Amino acid sequence: MESSRLNVSVIIKLEPDFSEGNVSYNSDGTLNRAETKSILGPHSAVASMAALNTKIMYNADVSVGTMGPPIAEQALQQSQLICDADELHLYSDRIFAGADTLATAEVLRAGVDKMHGGVKSDIVFSGHRASDGETGQTGPQTAWKLGYTFFGNVIGFSVDLERRLARVTRLVPIQGLHDVIEELEAPLPIFITIHPSYKPVFTTVSQRLTFFKCQKEARDRSALYKNYLKTFTAQTLGVDPKLVGLPGSPTIVYRVEKIPRAKTSRMAEIVDGSKRDQIKAVAKKITDMVKVK
Amino acid sequence: MARSPTLGISDEKYRHLYVVMEHEEGHLLQVNFEMLGEARRLMDEFNSRYSSEEKVVAILLGHEMRTQCDKLISCGADAVIYADSPEFKYHRNLIYTRVISQIALNKDCSKKISAQYGDEFQRPRFMFFSADDTGRHLSATVLAELDSGLASDINKLVIDDIELKHEHKTKGQVEKYNKTLEMYRPDFSGFLWTTILCLDNRHPDNRKDYHPQSCSIIPGVFSPIPSDSSRKGIIVDFAAILKPADLNVKILSRKAVKSPIDFDSHKAIVSFGRGINESPEENIALIDILKRELDAEVGISLPISKKPYNISNSKLSAYITPERVIGTSGRKVAPSVYIAVGISGAMQHIAGMKESEFVIAINPDTDSAIRDECDIFIKGRMEEVLPILVEELKQLKAIVEVRS
Repeated sequence: MESSRLNVSVIIKLEPDFSEGNVSYNSDGTLNRAETKSILGPHSAVASMAALNTKIMYNADVSVGTMGPPIAEQALQQSQLICDADELHLYSDRIFAGADTLATAEVLRAGVDKMHGGVKSDIVFSGHRASDGETGQTGPQTAWKLGYTFFGNVIGFSVDLERRLARVTRLVPIQGLHDVIEELEAPLPIFITIHPSYKPVFTTVSQRLTFFKCQKEARDRSALYKNYLKTFTAQTLGVDPKLVGLPGSPTIVYRVEKIPRAKTSRMAEIVDGSKRDQIKAVAKKITDMVKVK
Repeated sequence: MARSPTLGISDEKYRHLYVVMEHEEGHLLQVNFEMLGEARRLMDEFNSRYSSEEKVVAILLGHEMRTQCDKLISCGADAVIYADSPEFKYHRNLIYTRVISQIALNKDCSKKISAQYGDEFQRPRFMFFSADDTGRHLSATVLAELDSGLASDINKLVIDDIELKHEHKTKGQVEKYNKTLEMYRPDFSGFLWTTILCLDNRHPDNRKDYHPQSCSIIPGVFSPIPSDSSRKGIIVDFAAILKPADLNVKILSRKAVKSPIDFDSHKAIVSFGRGINESPEENIALIDILKRELDAEVGISLPISKKPYNISNSKLSAYITPERVIGTSGRKVAPSVYIAVGISGAMQHIAGMKESEFVIAINPDTDSAIRDECDIFIKGRMEEVLPILVEELKQLKAIVEVRS
């Protein structure tokens, strides 16, 4: 029953690699982008794992897409290695440059519409937020433009294929109060941003066998990832040039400056870390503070 | 999707600052009062500068919460647009986005808020949301619906008339943008501030209005104004139009849980930052010993949450998780004792721990910003200081135990 197969799409991003040895900081503590390598973002990797889960549980057809320069192919390849993607999309065009979240969402909306041979997706996954930009806006804005129901902070999900319903579990921190875990149900299609703590679990023997099969297939496919790759420009995507890149961005970066140091809020007593008697006094202070109250 | 109207010379169709409230089961969150406080300060200055009477308008969706609207007025709102339905008891992105977008574009509401500007009103001039997870997602979908610009995680706001030229917005010409909201956003490192503007396109080939100028605001940054029950304001009841398709997200279950990482019930917190980088595994092991000695909880700075090191010991690597981040993009803490190990003191980290009672920093560099934020600054390398500190703590404990 090919027609009822679950169509799953993943939106990913090539991001700076913050791991030691690959990341480079300027002397003032800011990221040195020129010297820092790029990889599949860690949140994108989690979204790719969620897609792998749908492949194992529901035999889903998985497409992965990203907007970026040609080098972003690397991120697609890394994602395919995780989720055994059937199709990779790169949306790459000079006119996409300088896009804010809304203009980026417009490209990704058009991209998702092109996935699975132009058939509507059932579930779209994206990361919690990018590790460099960290706005967390692009996912929900893409969802809204697609007209898919959006769920953020998702730690678990399941699909009832017959009823075309999804169940999602969300973990939402409520500032100053507590965390909330809620379970929701909604008709497909849905758009999910996956919480970083998400971990797929495969319990049955057949799931584990499928998992190993997918892993092997993913290795083979990602070695030849170009065979699965389609590259789109603004024209082949069919987006309105006025809605993408700089023309489609309501916001601009006006100024970047070093954050001035705040006024001194405490007068620090300086202690020489090589003097045991001075550290002894600090230990005494700590003990008093922790005990007394 | 709602499209922006075409560009007009005057800005009369944009009025007021709309602030979106958040609640948990009818309990108004603290960030509401912080946003209203900042909104009040900004609009008081705005109205005196531009000789106008634009309002601070709170938007509240809830169920049986009408009595709480007065509280919002006491804390700075000129008006509250309140929508009541059992459907609004808990936050759901889809229905909240629909209704808040309806409210933002509703002329009748704006007439009730201000007869003076009611006829010409088309959209809010400015719009604020909370930058917690709920507000972050809500702001994104509302602004996608309203087709305007949004800046996230803001911690400073200024309204000014700005002259600028931009490759696209002004086609390289100098143009003046009056009443522009400068939205300051600290970057992930905490060292850079990016000012984001939401501007109409005045490019002759692509004219388009972008209002409201919107942002999400970091909780805990701005101060509320003192509550004053004599403040006057109006409450506008809004009858939302709910379509069946917007209601088909069903909440099956919902429960409050304690975060597995519980900063509040520990008297001491030991946090570490990139200063551990010379020998990460060994240094985290030292921090772990100090943590156990003090029965402390362990926090980290934001750069650490990006897992920059390979830590083979799984108990130690468990400390490197986003849930432990202290700062504007993580938790706010206020323990009796806060020990910052190898933390430079980026603003975004300071915001998360500045309420601590007593702060100790361990750092080799007396020039680092954390020096201005601590009570004791131990100058030295953690590799040398931590073992001595732990030994001394153990000795003190031994003395106490002998005595008792």
